[in-house]
Amino acid sequence: MLETAFFYMFGGLAVLAATGVVLARNTMYSVMWLIFCFFNAAGLFFMLDAEFLGIILILIYVGAVMVLFIFVIMMLEINTAVLREGFLQYLPTGGLVALVLLIEFVAASRSGAFSQGAKATAEHFGREVNNTVEIGKLLYTKYLLGFEVAAVILLVALVGAIVLTLRARKDAKYQNISAQVRVRKEDRVRKVRL
Amino acid sequence: MANVTFPFPFPEHLSALLPEILVAVLAMALLIVDLFVPKERKALTGYLSLATILVAGVALMQVADGTSVTAFYGFFTLDPFAVFSKLLILAGTAIAIIMSLDYIRSEENVGEYFVLMLFAMLGMMLLVSANNFVTMYLGIELMALSIYVLVGYQRDTLRSNEAALKYFILGSLSSGMLLYGITFFYGVTSSLDFKQIGEALAAAPSSEHTAVLLGLVFIIAGLAFKVSMAPFHMWTPDAYEGAPTPITAFMSAAPKVAGFVVFVRIVADALPALEHETVMILSGMAVLTMAVGNLAAIAQRNIKRMLAYSTIGHVGFVTLGLIAGSGSGYAGMLVYLAIYLFMGMGAFAVIVLMRREGIQGELLDDFAGLAKVRPGYALAMGLLLFSLAGIPFLGGFWAKYAVFIAAVQAGHVYLVIYALLFSVVGAFYYIRVVKYMYFDEARVPFDFSENRLMQATVALTAMAVVVLGIYPDPLMELCRQAVIGIG
Repeated sequence: MLETAFFYMFGGLAVLAATGVVLARNTMYSVMWLIFCFFNAAGLFFMLDAEFLGIILILIYVGAVMVLFIFVIMMLEINTAVLREGFLQYLPTGGLVALVLLIEFVAASRSGAFSQGAKATAEHFGREVNNTVEIGKLLYTKYLLGFEVAAVILLVALVGAIVLTLRARKDAKYQNISAQVRVRKEDRVRKVRL
Repeated sequence: MANVTFPFPFPEHLSALLPEILVAVLAMALLIVDLFVPKERKALTGYLSLATILVAGVALMQVADGTSVTAFYGFFTLDPFAVFSKLLILAGTAIAIIMSLDYIRSEENVGEYFVLMLFAMLGMMLLVSANNFVTMYLGIELMALSIYVLVGYQRDTLRSNEAALKYFILGSLSSGMLLYGITFFYGVTSSLDFKQIGEALAAAPSSEHTAVLLGLVFIIAGLAFKVSMAPFHMWTPDAYEGAPTPITAFMSAAPKVAGFVVFVRIVADALPALEHETVMILSGMAVLTMAVGNLAAIAQRNIKRMLAYSTIGHVGFVTLGLIAGSGSGYAGMLVYLAIYLFMGMGAFAVIVLMRREGIQGELLDDFAGLAKVRPGYALAMGLLLFSLAGIPFLGGFWAKYAVFIAAVQAGHVYLVIYALLFSVVGAFYYIRVVKYMYFDEARVPFDFSENRLMQATVALTAMAVVVLGIYPDPLMELCRQAVIGIG
């Protein structure tokens, strides 16, 4: 009973926060709502006894990714008013799609299709299982291929980011230190006859 | 998720991954080697990446023994289907690198360009060997991430930036949809393995199919985006126009092969229980794709955009093979993709050749009167375009033939009649370019810089189209062999 109440609390707040992300006028508020949303999602993970995922979500997403987001937003100075133009124009179409999707999700979740999988998972993991250890074991054994490929993807992201941003700009002015040091008095000082 | 006992067994059949491991290691080594290559000799990196592809190809032929091998705890499959499509991907990447050798010289950070192409190729190689949603998703991401960067490589060109950004944002959205769809399958079947999902769905009562159906829609939407099937094609013309032309050629061929191969695996292994629904969704999309691709191409003045829409049209035709299903349908798809690889990339190679001082060579007008100045270029382009249009006794004809016959055999007669109608529409805009080349007066000066590699590429692809047109049997037989055991 208490568990159900907590589920609805975390779930409801997550939905509320997600709505806030979309509707907030200020981009910074959107980020704050997103952080709140992550905390609630982490709460849901804790309720599933997946404490590792919950902690990782807070540590990495809130602690690192969101901080980066805030940095980027503060540096870019985005004019949100321009971004919001046409919001009302697209609202009927978007709202209709969202409504249809909502009905479909409800239908899907009521079909009872997920009970089998959920039951299997619940039976498999007792409360004693330390899922940090279990995930570690699986990640470095059975899912090793995926792990390695993910590492390559990160490498590509790194290389890609550098390639797209690191360029010598032709219109930028650079300091030529050796030329500055080698400068002599005659180059700079001119005697003016008055 | 099973409890893991230690010591965990060493991955079985590790050698099946030899080509992938070699590409990954050599690409990373190349990243370092490139630092020591002086700026004006960056083509060397390109040649080294060609050598890498050659090494991977040799390794692939060594490990391919005609049987189906599952490696790495069931996360990787190497069967004739995968081997054949990997050869296509290697060939497509090699052609794109040859096209780039001269094209990209004026850019900065040239070395990374080639390495990123190798990584994109690695992603595709993993993708065609995926028998599992994990490998599939990671393969798609590796491929897509590399290509996003490559599309935006000309950072000083606004068009290139716009293309990359559009492609990236829509691509991320489609990846999200794909992942979301996968969660439905996992929630219902507790498995990520295509074959196991297929078995679980066959055993499950049909009342549980509602949730799976929703997942199916998301997965098809995500994959359709990657192969630019309508209505998920919006990014294609912009991305194709803005990308460096060799990358456009690359994108139009190799990722389509990889995307369709994994599509086949999902449809054949995971979805037999939902065959009726899958065919219905795909038929609707194929109808839309053929119409959008072929009709919108007519209105284009920029030949890269025109070929982008033409790619969409061809994707619609390939989808017919997917709808036709096991055996001849899948074989027809492979034939189509193999022949399209040559004719599509050949046509883009001609566009690269048309680039001259101050002119991108991308407008239809730039082709006017080409036949008088450069009869060789015009002849090659004409052959490639006629082949794309599906004129008999060129390669493109047999590609369409293989797919259409398979679809008729599977009972989709109306779809094939519809497809035939749109191939006629398609023929119009291909042949219009031929008209420009042969019957119009030149409007812009022709002063080409000679580019032997490109000329060789164009000549080879045009020759391939002719040879495959006269003598298509070996390719068809090869494709038939490759799909045995699929579906």
